[in-house]
Amino acid sequence: MNRTDKDGKRVEQFIPPEGVPITFAIASLGTRFGAQFLDIVFTTIIIFICATAIIFTGVLPMTAEAMLMVLLGFLVQIPYYILSELIWNGRTLGKRITGIRVINVDGRRLTPHQVTARNLMKQVEIFAPMGLLASVDTQSAWENGLTSLWLLAVVVVPFTNRRRQRLGDIIAGTLVVDTPRSVLLSDLALSAPAAASTQAEYEFLAEHLDVYGKYELQTLEDVLRDSTKTSNYKEIEQIVRTITRRIRYEDTVKPGRELHFLNEFYRAQREHLESLKLFGTLRENKYHEHSRTEAKKLV
Amino acid sequence: MMDIGIDGRMDKGATVNVGAVQNDTLRSARFRLEREAHWRQLDELVTRAEKGGAAALGYDEVRNLASGYRQAMNSLSVARDISLDRALIAYLESLCARAYLVVYAPQESLGGLMRRLLSHGIPQAVRRSALPLFIGFLALILGAAAGYRLCANDPSWFYTLVPPEMADQRTPDASTDYLRSTIYGDEGHDSDRLAAFSAFLFSHNTTIVILIFTLGVFVSVPSFILTFYNGLILGAFFAMFYRRGLGYDVFAWLSIHGVTELAAIAIACAGGARLGLAVLLPGARTRKEALRHQAHDAVKLAILAGLMLVAAAFIEGFLRQLIQDPTWRLIIGWGMGVCWVGWLLLAGRESKASREAVR
Repeated sequence: MNRTDKDGKRVEQFIPPEGVPITFAIASLGTRFGAQFLDIVFTTIIIFICATAIIFTGVLPMTAEAMLMVLLGFLVQIPYYILSELIWNGRTLGKRITGIRVINVDGRRLTPHQVTARNLMKQVEIFAPMGLLASVDTQSAWENGLTSLWLLAVVVVPFTNRRRQRLGDIIAGTLVVDTPRSVLLSDLALSAPAAASTQAEYEFLAEHLDVYGKYELQTLEDVLRDSTKTSNYKEIEQIVRTITRRIRYEDTVKPGRELHFLNEFYRAQREHLESLKLFGTLRENKYHEHSRTEAKKLV
Repeated sequence: MMDIGIDGRMDKGATVNVGAVQNDTLRSARFRLEREAHWRQLDELVTRAEKGGAAALGYDEVRNLASGYRQAMNSLSVARDISLDRALIAYLESLCARAYLVVYAPQESLGGLMRRLLSHGIPQAVRRSALPLFIGFLALILGAAAGYRLCANDPSWFYTLVPPEMADQRTPDASTDYLRSTIYGDEGHDSDRLAAFSAFLFSHNTTIVILIFTLGVFVSVPSFILTFYNGLILGAFFAMFYRRGLGYDVFAWLSIHGVTELAAIAIACAGGARLGLAVLLPGARTRKEALRHQAHDAVKLAILAGLMLVAAAFIEGFLRQLIQDPTWRLIIGWGMGVCWVGWLLLAGRESKASREAVR
């Protein structure tokens, strides 16, 4: 279910009711901490405004005012998280700003119960230790020890599971992920140089294309997309030299035509691998020959 | 749709010889060319829904969103099989994820949610948790009985059991008159300070409620201990007043808000106990699953405890200082208790007919 992306991001294969897995990148703990910090700032501002409003209007009797002040913290804090996550589908203001959101682990929609459960647990995981931390000076030694133990337990839990769930997430069955952003890049097989010329300048034979696999193809894709922005021509020449040596390509590539060569090679290689894939042979990387002989030996 | 396609073709026709390109393109590139317009359309709808919610879309647009979402899902699963273009697959994945989040957003209205919770969610949850509730009230009552016994025999226990900031100046050494004045507020005792003190007591209790509930996860023992300790303090207080012959008065003073407030503590303990029991006795489930399952009722109990606390706060803020007569205090306090019990026991019961229909 879980694997690690090439950027070192943890990702979650998530199966919606349609049955096609989609991937979500699991939010980093740093981002989540930032979102929580922002939320605390916002709620504090709201509490402060309400408190001044209550004091200055002064329509309530003294005792009621005192009660309200005591309750204000809870009356603002708990509904803030629950309502904002309900209304904005798993995002508080802080989460919106940092670009993360809560989703349901089992692929259904987020239920009100889950939102309530994970935010009630926030009291024990974040606010109660924070309150204890604030009164460190007045506590006895063993109370301080207990506080640090508590903090340690709460901080350790997200690190012990691969999905980075805190206790509330585990109870509610939720997951915090990065809000997906989508950019559609152009198709390299159609784009500029290769498609513009009517005739292929370079001819690739089957044995030329049998060397590399999917991994090398997609690495080349990254290089080509990158080269349009920052052209480090030395590197490109190096790549072309390596490829021609590796696939034993006899014709020489004229200086200045390297990018063109790479584009055409990409296109030919992709066509070859895709048709292979269509017939059931997926070549993960350039070691495919090796692994196949290994398999034969085993049989 | 048609003329857009023709337009595109004519543009290209002006520059390159089209037929060759069209027939020559890779299967995966053709796949993309044919569907790209649909994806862009979906992308635009999703972006709008992300900004203003699904309410920002019209009737037809919502229908397009749903069908576009299914098409994109379809494209994604095909693209994974036929295409090696990483950019394309990454785009489709993120598009599908965004569309999923828009399509599967919570659809309940807040009002409906609250009504459902009050009319049957909470009462049913309470009726399902007889054993945890028994544990919660037992902890409180046992604590009170123990506190009372200890202090009735030896008043010095009071100092051990009750933290000094909670007792204020109400200790066994205080004069009977002083103690009476704390019960019947205003005369001879500055009421501002009393209000501040009762506010402090109340905030103490709210913190306790939250602690009790959430500590239940740690195998429910801390919940039980905290509730028991709260009972101890209560018993000690009562014993101290009782020794001065103020038993009836303090009982009335505690009743008016205490019936609601202490019940909230016991209910929070019951909620904690449900979580703790899930960890201790998960039954056929794994502990994680049991915790998730029990959390449904536990959360409802916690909401109930919160509601009761707010109610107690209002009673304490408005009524306690206003009503000085002990009989009225008793009537209001226990009347509230009867109301709570009535609501929790009677609301949300399915009528016999509908239950049979379900069966």
